Amino acid sequence: MEKTLQLPAGIKKRGLTRAQREARRAYMIILPYYIYIAFWSLLPLLIGFFLGFTEFDGLSGLPKWVGLENFRTFFATNEYLILLWRQIWIGMICLFFNTVLSFLLGLALNVNFRIRGFFRTTVYVPSVAAVSTTTAVVVALLSPVDGGLNKFLEAIGVQPIVWNYSQFWMVFWIVVYFVWRSIGPAAIIWLGGLQSINPSLYEAARVDGAKRWQEIRYITIPGLKYIAGYIILTGVINVMQMFDVVMFISRGNPYGKTDVLMYRIYRDGIQSFNLGMAGAQSIVLGIVTIIFALMYFRFIVRSED
Amino acid sequence: MGKTRSRIIMTIWLLIMSVVAIIMLYPFIYSALAGLNHKDDFGHLGSLLPMPKRIVLSNFLYIFTPNGIRPLINTVFRTAWYTVNVCLMAVLVGYVMARYEFKGKKFFFAVIICSQLVPSVLTLIPSFVMVSKIPFAGGNNWMGIGGRGLINNILMLYLPFGWNNLLWVFLFIQSMRSIPRDLEEAAEIDGCGFFRMIFRILIPIQKPMIAVIAVNTALSTWNDWMTPFIYINKIQDSTLPAYVGMLTAQLQAFGDRDYPKLFATATVAIIPPFLIFLFLQKYIIQGIASVGIKG
Repeated sequence: MEKTLQLPAGIKKRGLTRAQREARRAYMIILPYYIYIAFWSLLPLLIGFFLGFTEFDGLSGLPKWVGLENFRTFFATNEYLILLWRQIWIGMICLFFNTVLSFLLGLALNVNFRIRGFFRTTVYVPSVAAVSTTTAVVVALLSPVDGGLNKFLEAIGVQPIVWNYSQFWMVFWIVVYFVWRSIGPAAIIWLGGLQSINPSLYEAARVDGAKRWQEIRYITIPGLKYIAGYIILTGVINVMQMFDVVMFISRGNPYGKTDVLMYRIYRDGIQSFNLGMAGAQSIVLGIVTIIFALMYFRFIVRSED
Repeated sequence: MGKTRSRIIMTIWLLIMSVVAIIMLYPFIYSALAGLNHKDDFGHLGSLLPMPKRIVLSNFLYIFTPNGIRPLINTVFRTAWYTVNVCLMAVLVGYVMARYEFKGKKFFFAVIICSQLVPSVLTLIPSFVMVSKIPFAGGNNWMGIGGRGLINNILMLYLPFGWNNLLWVFLFIQSMRSIPRDLEEAAEIDGCGFFRMIFRILIPIQKPMIAVIAVNTALSTWNDWMTPFIYINKIQDSTLPAYVGMLTAQLQAFGDRDYPKLFATATVAIIPPFLIFLFLQKYIIQGIASVGIKG
């Protein structure tokens, strides 16, 4: 072990015993933490790969090995595929509007007015409150009888809408809530990116007689590529696992038309103890998420050239 | 001419931003007002701003009665527990990884990076299974069968510690790079022990970074309603945001709906993170900036 240790120049002088002492201390600090974390994260990950190939109700006895049966059920019937597809399209709508609107908000905040700080704070506030504490407002407003929104529509002479019976409107409100809550941090990250662009680039462009949209097209957008990559990449991973907003706002209704795969995983696993099937769905959704992330990652790397 | 034009632009900007600000704050105002209503009134208000017909404080006061205060106390303890522990881990592990040379350092570092990319869907259900099968807990035998493990056990508020916390180790390592070794070396020559050096020298120097870690951990722990929601059914052993989650989930089911109680509880659950954000904004913004832009 002594021979394989690599020592930086500064430490070498003082001899190997010191290096050994440092290594021992490092392991004594790192290993307990890593082992404990492995128990709560790595072990479940490994259990998860196993779980998908079993039939298990969590109560009686041990899981029964069924091979690929759960995956066959997943891909043979429309039941699960439709939920996967819905997770993707509802998620992508959420992500699209959040990315575009947060960018516009970032642009709007990138000014020199004094009051900017106040607006920056208010925009961020929704993400400081837990999802569970703010969704009830949407539910109360959309309530079919005596809901605030319908009474308001009536008051201004518009026909009230039975929101809960329409897939379109429930998806609409899910997206509105999602954007309301997630726009702040994204806008702040965009803003940070906008401010990191060298101002002399804009001056040079102005000297060359560039128009405002040309500045955005040729300076701002290329300068923000990594920021955009980060926002979309974390956004993809985030929306592919979103179910809390759906659970609280629509509960997958009307008639399961806003149900998404992640919500089904939650219900199968934690409410109906159909653990094998929940495990198999988790594996499929996890792999799809990773594939999406990698595809996007490659797309950024390729556009580099 | 140029001046009037810039004034017009400023006015339009102000107008748009004010509308945005109102939309952003509206649900909080709604919650606070709704919490002041009487249960019987609320259902018939049907307005965008639920102005109370008669102001009722009992919904808010209930949370501070001996029966109702447990979730709040649990949330406070849980937040303090994780804030201290995550900071301690970030400092100790981060310091050792930044300064010491030892075999396997690259591996430990790679674990941090890779773990951040694993979608949490892959561990949600298996964790639940694992927790219910922990041997000798909650009536389980040595094989983990027979009981309910740690499900519904208040310890689940304090024990789980996943690899998402390693993100802060990563940021601490990054911030160590900008600090010269001189002070540590001088301390060592003076015969200062490892932990003394950490607490007397390193932590004071690294205060800004530790503040970023502490504030962000405190916020995310307070707001983590999902863990208690999944593992604990008893309101007494749950946290405030998880309790609000239970109430919200019940709204969709048929039955008696006590909106004002829900909104009062939600408002109380929002106030602490709101205050943390208001006064310690700097560290939160710095946190997302360092995660988003450097990372």
